[in-house]
Amino acid sequence: MSVTSSDLRENPRRWSGLPLGVTLAVVVMGAVAVPTEGQTGVETPEIPDLVGVWNGGGGVRPVNGPNMPWVPGENFPVLNERGQAFQSVFDEAIAPKYDCVPSASPALQYDPYMMEVTQWPDRVLFRYEKDDQIRTVWLDGRKPPFNEFTVQGFSAGSYEDGALVIETTQFVFDITGFDDYNGIPSSQQKRVTERYWREGEELRLTLTVEDPMFLREPTSYTTRWLPGPEGYKLQLYGCDAEQAGRPRRFLIPKYQ
Amino acid sequence: MASGSEIEIRLLEAKEDFVKALFWTMAAAAVMAIVITGMSVSAHHASGPFYDSEKRVEAVGTVTSFVFRNPHSFLYVDAPVDGGETIKWEIEMGASVMMSRRGWTPETIKAGDEIKVVGQPSRAPGTFGMCCAELTKTDGSPIRP
Repeated sequence: MSVTSSDLRENPRRWSGLPLGVTLAVVVMGAVAVPTEGQTGVETPEIPDLVGVWNGGGGVRPVNGPNMPWVPGENFPVLNERGQAFQSVFDEAIAPKYDCVPSASPALQYDPYMMEVTQWPDRVLFRYEKDDQIRTVWLDGRKPPFNEFTVQGFSAGSYEDGALVIETTQFVFDITGFDDYNGIPSSQQKRVTERYWREGEELRLTLTVEDPMFLREPTSYTTRWLPGPEGYKLQLYGCDAEQAGRPRRFLIPKYQ
Repeated sequence: MASGSEIEIRLLEAKEDFVKALFWTMAAAAVMAIVITGMSVSAHHASGPFYDSEKRVEAVGTVTSFVFRNPHSFLYVDAPVDGGETIKWEIEMGASVMMSRRGWTPETIKAGDEIKVVGQPSRAPGTFGMCCAELTKTDGSPIRP
C-alpha cells in the first residue's frame, strides 16, 4: 500500500495513508526512543504541506525563454572563460533535447508544466509532466552513491524552518545543463540547492545553482506554482524523438 | 433639454462603455489568439533561431496530417501555388500536453481539411516550416477545439 497525493490531500494528517502497523510502530518507537521537545530543547522541524499537483504554466509565472528565469543584468549567470568558450561554440542543432533527452535542474523546475509532489517519511517525490521525469529527494541522511552521475543527480533533503531544503549533486556533464535557451553547459560539479515553502495557496521555490567548472559565482531565481486543477492527473509526456528533432531542419547550420 | 451636469454624466457613461467595450474586445482577441494558434509557444525551444519573426507567410491548402505529440505537434499542409506546383508546409505547434488542456485532440484538425495558415517562415533556405501560426478555415472563421 502506498500513500498517494490524493490520499494526503483528502486527509491533511500527513501519514494517514500509511499501513496501521507501521504507524503504530513509529508511534511506539517515538514514545520510547525520542525525547520530547521539552527534554531536549530541540524543536521538531515544521513540515510544510507540499503534497499535490502544482501548476507552473504560463498563467502562473512568466514562461521560460532566453531571458527567463535568467534575466540579463539581474541574475544571468556570470560565466568563466571555460563557460564562455563552450557557449561560443555551442550549436543549437546538437542540443540533447532534440533527441528527447530530458531537461534537468535548474531548467526543469522552470518548465511551464504541471508537477506533482508526494511526501513520505523518508523521501519526497517530485514528478514532472515535462519529459515524464521523477526525482527522489532522500530525507534519511543517506550519502550520494560513490562515483555515480545521472541526468537528475542525487538529491538529499531536510526540513528547515517550515521549508524543504534540497541539495542535488552528481549530475552528468550536459552541454545545455544550465539552461534550455542560451547554450550554457553544466558539469559534474554542478550543485543545485532548492528551498520550497508555502505562502498561502502558493508553492514557492528559491533555487541556487553553483558550478565552478563554468560559473564564476552562484546564481539564483525564485518562482512559484499554484494548485493544479482539482482532480488533475499528470499526463504521459511520451516525448516523440522524430517530432522533437524536426525543427532542426529549419536552422541555418552554424558550421557549414 | 439636458443640463450641463447630465451631459457630463452621459459623457462619463459613454466613456465607461467605450472602455468596457475596448477591454472585452482585447480580452476576446487574446482568447481567440490562444484558441486559433493552439498554443504555438512550445516552451521547448526558442523560436528565434528557427523562424524569422520579422516576416509573415501565408498558406492556403489541404491538411495532409496533424501529428499531435510532445514536445511539439506538427501540422502538414499541401498548398498549391502558381504554376501548378504544391508547397508542403510543416507548421510547428505546441506540446500536445499543453494543447489538450485547452481542449485540442488529435481529431481537432483532420487530413483533408481546407485551412489557412499565417505565421513566421523558417530560416533555412529551401525549407517551408512555419511557426507561431494563426490557423483559420479558408473563409477566415476560427478553428476551435
